[in-house]
Amino acid sequence: MSGGSKGGATVKARAEIALNDEFLRKAVRFTTERLRNGKKKASDEQGNWEQWRERGRAIRLHTIAHLDYYLNLFVDNARANGVHIHFAATAAEAVEISLDIARRCGARSVVKSKSMVSEELHLNQALEGIGVEAIESDLGEYIIQLAGEMPSHIVIPAIHKNRYQIAELLSREAGYELPPDTTALAGFVRKKLREKFLEADIGMTGCNFAIAETGSMVLFENEGNARMVSTIPRTQITLMGMERIIPSWSDLEVMATLLPRSATGQKLTMYMSGITGPRRSADADGPDEMHMIIVDNGRSLQLGDPEFQELLNCIRCGACLNACPVYRHIGGHSYGSTYSGPIGAVLTPSLNANVAEWDDIANASTLCGACYEACPVKIPLHDMLVYLRRRKVEDGHGSKLEGLGMGGFAAIMGSSRRLGGMLRLGKTGQRLLLRDGFIKSRLGPLKGWNAYRVTPALPKQSFRDRWPTLEQELRAGLQEMDASVSERLERRLQERTRKDSHGTDSADNSQLNRVRDKQWEGGGGHE
Amino acid sequence: MNESHEEWLARLEKRSHDRQKAFIGGIANRLGHGPMTEAPLNPHRGAPDFWTALEWNTEEKVKRFTDNFLSVGGHVERLASFSDASAFIVDKAKEMDVKIVLRQDEPALNELELEKALPEAEIAVWNSDRDKAWKTEAAGADFGIVQADHAVAYTGSAVVLSSSGKGRSVSLLPTVLFILIPVGRLVTRLGEVLETFDQAGKENLPAGIHFISGPSRSSDIENDLTIGVHGPGIVYALLIG
Ligand code: SF4
Repeated sequence: MSGGSKGGATVKARAEIALNDEFLRKAVRFTTERLRNGKKKASDEQGNWEQWRERGRAIRLHTIAHLDYYLNLFVDNARANGVHIHFAATAAEAVEISLDIARRCGARSVVKSKSMVSEELHLNQALEGIGVEAIESDLGEYIIQLAGEMPSHIVIPAIHKNRYQIAELLSREAGYELPPDTTALAGFVRKKLREKFLEADIGMTGCNFAIAETGSMVLFENEGNARMVSTIPRTQITLMGMERIIPSWSDLEVMATLLPRSATGQKLTMYMSGITGPRRSADADGPDEMHMIIVDNGRSLQLGDPEFQELLNCIRCGACLNACPVYRHIGGHSYGSTYSGPIGAVLTPSLNANVAEWDDIANASTLCGACYEACPVKIPLHDMLVYLRRRKVEDGHGSKLEGLGMGGFAAIMGSSRRLGGMLRLGKTGQRLLLRDGFIKSRLGPLKGWNAYRVTPALPKQSFRDRWPTLEQELRAGLQEMDASVSERLERRLQERTRKDSHGTDSADNSQLNRVRDKQWEGGGGHE
Repeated sequence: MNESHEEWLARLEKRSHDRQKAFIGGIANRLGHGPMTEAPLNPHRGAPDFWTALEWNTEEKVKRFTDNFLSVGGHVERLASFSDASAFIVDKAKEMDVKIVLRQDEPALNELELEKALPEAEIAVWNSDRDKAWKTEAAGADFGIVQADHAVAYTGSAVVLSSSGKGRSVSLLPTVLFILIPVGRLVTRLGEVLETFDQAGKENLPAGIHFISGPSRSSDIENDLTIGVHGPGIVYALLIG
């Protein structure tokens, strides 16, 4: 059992394990393909997708630029609704508060619905540590919890397991043999978890959005387990990242338009629930007591950081994972952390304030920009990956080889004239990448940080067998990719220094720019 | 430790207030501004204008709702009146040999007169007896019957709001769910319903607001669609009028 640990191995080593697993590779590719096509269909059908993205981005930018105001508003309103609010600066504090509540309730079991924050905190282990059973109730999460593993995809956590493996796991739990049949397996879980919901002392949920003006929380789901968890047990605990806020219910229309379409291609998830406080005294269901733990755990490090603040706009839809050629090839476990794919590659080092330890994740990215194109709130993830590499070298954490690599890279980035000279190939990499279903990746200037740039559309031979030839083949195209990345970076840099110049989000942009200027004056934007 | 539950809560409450200043002050600091007391100017509230202009006529709304609800594996019937709805439910109850029916406590649902039409079944009315374990009752029910407070054509969603007579469990725990939707409550866009919550303000919001767009589902096992994994697997939307 891997027990959820990241095991100390590098992404490269973990990728090799993942790459050897034929089923994982097929499953990830199939699933991400399905989700990606679903998203494309749903966003085309919705129409004006670019305008929706722009509005989504504007709402998130505005809220984060005034997060102190909106968070205060939310907290005051939620308290007035009867919610007990707690603040946790670190994961350890959030765990401590949760355990305090569990002890106080004399809890024997906690039923949970999917929560990325809870994963961040490794809360299940902590609860088990004080003798409280923690039960994941999302079908996929339940399965991987039985297997003692970590989720491999934000939206579909058990995508790496086939139904025979699942039947084996569930049969062990049932004490009798279950057939490898999806309906039978799900039927067993339904029955088993029904008992758990009704027995549990505490229900624990995450939070997709929190509505500042009314102090409500909103959950999106398809199975109904988040509703169970927030309706049946006497005590509810909600874990919320401090950036989950939106101002109003009206803004929720935009998020509800973007999130399900981007995540699964649905018009809306089967359930969308808005919960405002514990049960009213005359109600016969809903929790008697409701706690919300507002978690920082490294998020504020991104605030005021000109290069990374927009990470807080993320609505955790997973679209960037499905779009990412590397993720589709090696699958989620290779990232070895709670958040995988492009968002994980940037978020993990950022949350940990530790560029050195996590930078190898950023290496596993192609910088192709597909993640940005997919993102419903237009977070420039691929730019952030470049910043991350630069910071690693600046901080002196890079290996000699990588340092050299970055030197070459910085030189290319640093001079647009030299860049122009290198721009020989006509087509831009980006367009090439997104057309004809094939994702082709190109090598960067030096080997050190491009060792995992792979193409998922490889023919029968395995990635590792093909690697030496592949490297040769791809090396030729390197200038082209770097040019497209450079152009994008240049363009964004210009956008960022041109204050208040363009219409839609100028107020929030100028605020961000002021912050950026301040940071730059202070010489370096991160701690 | 002789601290009572109330004392414990009060202690946590105090600590929370104490920490709020530092926690949120830290955010303001990093954002580079002082404490904000006034609401910031927000030019981008809600959906874009081109969208809020969209409005369908009744037949279009009924058609879109129906198409959406069917496409996710739900069932839809258009019926002329509540008594037709009653006949439909009674029919299904007999067909499926139903033992326990649980319904919300609402005048429109009283008028279905299911007690009379289904003498063999137990017809329970949510929260009609203060001492009963209603959540367990709901978990054992074959049919759950609710009336939608709103419905949205664009997403194919019914919206149910909780109150003392309207349990959250009734639309969640039974095996089969019937949602009665008077056609007059059907709007075009999600935003038309969401706006009403902004207008109501927090004092007037129920504890639970649930948008239901079809049967409970999961694709977590090999991407194979499974219906009814936790919530009702069979959901009927009965459009009335
Ligand atoms: S970064 Fe964008 S695409 Fe990726 S999970 Fe966040 S919101 Fe979705």
